[in-house]
Amino acid sequence: MSFREKSAWISMLSMAGIYGFYFWSVIHGGPHAGRFHFAGLLETIIALVVLQVVLTVTAAIFAPKEAKAPRDERDKLIELRAMRVAYAGLATSVALACFFGAFTPPIVFNTNALLFILVTAEMMRSACQIVQYRRGA
Amino acid sequence: MGVIRNEIRRLRFEHGEMTQQELAEKINLTRQTVNAIEQGKYSPSLEAAFRISAVFGKPLESVFHYSKDE
Repeated sequence: MSFREKSAWISMLSMAGIYGFYFWSVIHGGPHAGRFHFAGLLETIIALVVLQVVLTVTAAIFAPKEAKAPRDERDKLIELRAMRVAYAGLATSVALACFFGAFTPPIVFNTNALLFILVTAEMMRSACQIVQYRRGA
Repeated sequence: MGVIRNEIRRLRFEHGEMTQQELAEKINLTRQTVNAIEQGKYSPSLEAAFRISAVFGKPLESVFHYSKDE
């Protein structure tokens, strides 16, 4: 497995774990229960950054040459394709959120819903990169 | 859609059993990308194709072949 693919796995799994806990606690009465709290989100972002840095540095220690090498043309193409898929998902989700937000009272339109959309789009981007690296494309 | 085939694997062995990593370093690509090109899963840019041909000292059409509808 290449370092770039490992990075994509780290990104997707760490987001699934950290934001998974955040959204679970929002819904099920954990430490972030109820409405949107800036401090709770800040804690989540710091935890995510720390986890990703630790895992990426660990992966780089096992493949220092690959980690230092710049992205080549295939890596860039895979990144662009993944970005296109994630953008399509993000745009569709935001349009749906706006549509449902137009109802009175609003159904989906709140900060946590928008955050969920953003996180899902980021995870789609990583997942799309992983699929392409697995296929060798 | 056409298919781009290549002779990179054969040429590597004819050039002192050059490894994918060695070729990758000469053309500034990753080993995984060289492997994907060899297997026909990824078509390199024109610039990368020229760089690969230059490593083996062969014209482009001796390294890469295009065939229609396969």
